[in-house]
Amino acid sequence: MSGVRLEGIVKAYGAVQVVHGIDLEVQEKEFVVLVGPSGCGKSTTLRMIAGLEEISDGDLTIDDRHVNRVAPKDRDVAMVFQNYALYPHLNVADNIAFGLRIRKESKETIASSVEEVGGILGLTPYLERRPADLSGGQRQRVAMGRAIVRRPKVFLFDEPLSNLDAKLRTQMRAEIKRLHKRLGVTSIYVTHDQVEAMTLADRIVVMHDGRIEQIGSPMDLFLNPKNTFVAGFLGSPPMNMVKATIAAGDQGPVAEFDGQRVQLQQIPALTNAVGLEVILGIRPEFVSVADQNDPNLVGLDIDLVETLGSEALIHASLQGEPFVIRTDTVGQMHILDGIKGFTIEPNLVKVFDAKTGEALPGQVLEQ
Amino acid sequence: MSNDPNFTGAGGPTTEELVFDAKEAQRRRKPSTMQRVGDHMKREWQLYVMLVPTILWLVIFLYKPMYGLQIAFKDYSIFRGVANSPWIGLEHFQTLFGNDQFIRALRNTIIISFYGLIFGFPMPILLALMFNEILKQTFKKTAQTIVYLPHFVSSVIIAGIVITAFSPSAGIVNTFLGALGVDPIYFLTKPEWFRPIFVGTGIWQEAGFQSIVYLAAIAGVSPTLYESAVVDGASRWQMMWKITLPSILPTIIIMLIIRIGNMLEVSFEMIILLYQPATYETADVVNTFIYRQGIQGGQYDLAAAAGLFNAVVAFVLVMTANAISKRYSRTSLW
Ligand SMILES: Nc1ncnc2c1ncn2[C@@H]1O[C@H](COP(=O)(O)OP(=O)(O)O)[C@@H](O)[C@H]1O
Ligand SMILES: [Mg+2]
Repeated sequence: MSGVRLEGIVKAYGAVQVVHGIDLEVQEKEFVVLVGPSGCGKSTTLRMIAGLEEISDGDLTIDDRHVNRVAPKDRDVAMVFQNYALYPHLNVADNIAFGLRIRKESKETIASSVEEVGGILGLTPYLERRPADLSGGQRQRVAMGRAIVRRPKVFLFDEPLSNLDAKLRTQMRAEIKRLHKRLGVTSIYVTHDQVEAMTLADRIVVMHDGRIEQIGSPMDLFLNPKNTFVAGFLGSPPMNMVKATIAAGDQGPVAEFDGQRVQLQQIPALTNAVGLEVILGIRPEFVSVADQNDPNLVGLDIDLVETLGSEALIHASLQGEPFVIRTDTVGQMHILDGIKGFTIEPNLVKVFDAKTGEALPGQVLEQ
Repeated sequence: MSNDPNFTGAGGPTTEELVFDAKEAQRRRKPSTMQRVGDHMKREWQLYVMLVPTILWLVIFLYKPMYGLQIAFKDYSIFRGVANSPWIGLEHFQTLFGNDQFIRALRNTIIISFYGLIFGFPMPILLALMFNEILKQTFKKTAQTIVYLPHFVSSVIIAGIVITAFSPSAGIVNTFLGALGVDPIYFLTKPEWFRPIFVGTGIWQEAGFQSIVYLAAIAGVSPTLYESAVVDGASRWQMMWKITLPSILPTIIIMLIIRIGNMLEVSFEMIILLYQPATYETADVVNTFIYRQGIQGGQYDLAAAAGLFNAVVAFVLVMTANAISKRYSRTSLW
């Protein structure tokens, strides 16, 4: 089973520890994305798996083999780098063949592998070109070709799309996903872009300051973030955060702020938390726009309505912070003019402890 | 045709006319080369100020002396001066090519340059590759300093060291040979030893310093190329051959072109310091010939002709090397 297991993986540069004990089990054929802000230790973790960085502490297992002290070439992994790492003096075919040549494969094997990979990635017309004569997307494909051609047990990607423009990135993202479906190779993918993470991953690993914050499927993390960091990191536009205090209302717990109130879910963690200072996590997608006739209206200072065709973004402010609502425009255009705020279903409001940033237990959102 | 932008009457300008107008306007708006250079100078005058010393140096030391080159075609005498000496055509060149000493100097120049190229050119590249493989920083720095050192020592002192080292009585070389039971060899009086000693001295003096250029080129190679190769399973040796060398190849080619251009510029002060009449046979080069004939013998016009010939050959060499490189490796000096 070509899985990868990290147990208590630590990386220290001298006295400075940058990765503080990572536990992660990647299943065979799984596509796992490490996501987090720049500098949180994603690359370092990936490079330890590749063998480019020494592991300071902990155990790394690939395919049930302990590989802490195994040389990169013997780990049977292939890595795709952000800047492509193509050899400028070699043409596309030779770049793809590089790893096979190093391994002294036969001429026929090399030729047929290069041809096959060129076909898979649509590079056949460019095999004779040098990297300098390729577009960014084509270079990225060559870089992937170099990884694929070796048929490794594990693919490692370090921000492979960051050097591409937005449109190409979307396109290549889909291509990577398709490729993974086709080849079914265990993949670990590093990015700081939450959209990439959401679209590509079977499971997302959210990292922060050298630690794992949460692991789960994209939808699970989107609906049930463990803390305000994960909640704020995933989703675009990001989750709105509102400071409030829990109080007892007529129909169960409510959150109060600035003389307004939001009905909350009736679960013990909330009913027993009256008086607790909390942060309400409100996804822009989960609210309904409302006018002043709505009894449950939460008032906002509406700033600007951006109509994007099928949907609209309403920019407003609450507690002096920006508050964004995302809404379908179809059949709703007439109310966008008169809106004064929003309403939200109690079970769609995520409640976090203001002190710790942790989600209060017992709130589970299902798809 | 209408130049009036408000002209909208019936039967207005045809498409062709409009295109013509647009092109005309574009032409008028595009500043002339002079204007653009002028604007650039105004905006970036600091750059031009920095250029001044180099231009002055070029004019004073390279262009002004060119005026004197005409004496290669004149029967020059210091009393009549450059302008008033009579023209005599190619007579000096005929004299030169009839002169055994000049022919010998030409042959020596070519042979010594050739040895210098064959043995001297690869040395700094090898050094740079070796330095690059040293992982321990302190050792690397020390080794580099030691090989750079001779470059900063005056040629006179270098020559002194060489002469002492090869001295038949107390020289370290002969002492060593003596220990092996070999009789002392008078190296610096033997024509067959001159070229190896001269070329070797040149390498010792300059190879380290010249390696800096290649080290800089190596430093410019993206580290991810190596990381990617490591994951692919390349050994250090393979990475040197398949990544480092090809990556610095453009630098190597540029250096080679420059080197070939300077090929006939054998460092003649070192020759003068090391040669003696006994070794003229293999040591006398065009520049030392010019020095002896022109400066010591007062035949300025003949020496000028020899120097001009040297320059023309050098020019042809650079042009050829550049053209070949441009054609086969996409790299060229201009
Ligand atoms: N060679 C190094 N020496 C010291 N610190 C390093 C080194 N490489 C990375 N770091 C530090 O480790 C942390 C994690 O880096 P990295 O894994 O590259 O982050 P990212 O999540 O952006 O990929 C950063 O704070 C970085 O400064
Ligand atoms: Mg990184």
